[in-house]
Amino acid sequence: MKAPRSRFEYFYAAALRLYPARFRAAYAAAMQQALHDALADPDVSRATFLPLLIRDLMVSLVKENIAMVRESLARPVLVFNALVLAGIASGVALALYAIPQQVLRQGLNDPQIQMAGDVAARLEHGGTPNETVPQGEQVDMAQSLAPFVIVYDEQGHPLASQAVLNGAVPAPPSGVFDYVRQHGEERVSWQPVRGSQTVNGVRIAAVVERVSGAHPGFVLAGRNMREVEAREGQVREMAGLTWLGMLGVILVGCVAFGWYTRPKAGPPTHATPAM
Amino acid sequence: MTTGTQPATPLSPAVFAILLSLGEGDKHGYAIMKDAQSPRGGAIRMGPGTLYGSIDRMMRDGLVEESGVSDDERRRYYRLTGLGRRTLASELERLDAAVSSAKSLGLMRRPLAKGGRG
Repeated sequence: MKAPRSRFEYFYAAALRLYPARFRAAYAAAMQQALHDALADPDVSRATFLPLLIRDLMVSLVKENIAMVRESLARPVLVFNALVLAGIASGVALALYAIPQQVLRQGLNDPQIQMAGDVAARLEHGGTPNETVPQGEQVDMAQSLAPFVIVYDEQGHPLASQAVLNGAVPAPPSGVFDYVRQHGEERVSWQPVRGSQTVNGVRIAAVVERVSGAHPGFVLAGRNMREVEAREGQVREMAGLTWLGMLGVILVGCVAFGWYTRPKAGPPTHATPAM
Repeated sequence: MTTGTQPATPLSPAVFAILLSLGEGDKHGYAIMKDAQSPRGGAIRMGPGTLYGSIDRMMRDGLVEESGVSDDERRRYYRLTGLGRRTLASELERLDAAVSSAKSLGLMRRPLAKGGRG
């Protein structure tokens, strides 16, 4: 290839390096020659030709590179591998969210399990609800993150409570008590006030235990989930960002792999007509 | 652009201009660009990128081929293939029918302008 013959041709030759290698190998010299011919043509005004050339360069660069990417990626094996990798990445991201979320949720119940068990045991050994439920300043279920205990009778009416919500002692749905009657214990996320947690909703991680003996009924130990749910949100965001990052890496990797393993084709010379 | 050996029309302006230019005979890139820019060549202003991008796809579609003749190592000549010639003829017939229709509807009151675009 001859050296560029003017500064503008030099820059044009440099810009041609941005074309895909196959296209560049096939046509770069001819394109430089066409430019040289145009610049040497007395009938061609540089003032109108050079803007056309720049526009043409930008449009065709985009077009040929997109065509190259499409040709490089339009291979079933590559697409299949990309989909498999994307599936694995999605599974990993899901695990990154689900495992910490479960750890946070399980850990959230730890104090309630101990508290409900202790109060239930004291009730079964003859204690009264008012004696067994710690007295003192009442916990506001909507505001406080402190764990609390409530004792209910057989019908689900509160007998003693360490916490209130809007000035009253709420009770979980009767279905929870029905389940505990059959199974002895239940661990639930209880939403005594409907709505968004951040506006006016309250979600309680509750452990409910069956109590027999002199004061049969139920013991509910609960704790506001607000803080843990905020941490779950952070985990979800991190897992989501990780997922998007992995998909981005897979996309870039597949494009790069497709590019470096694309079918090599030399300059198209003397093509056979499709007759 | 083409399916097998059958001409596929309509053509893009650049492809039509290239076929029309090569209809006269073997030409190199810049000669095709100049022909395309002239009013009789379609008045299509295209740069080397559009020209060789179109030629690349036309060669794959079997519409044009390198003639093998060259007066300079950087100046490559191209010519129509049989399919390219049939495709050009098919496009010209399509355009001719459209122009005839426009004339019969009185949509072309003036002769075609002699000046090209841009």
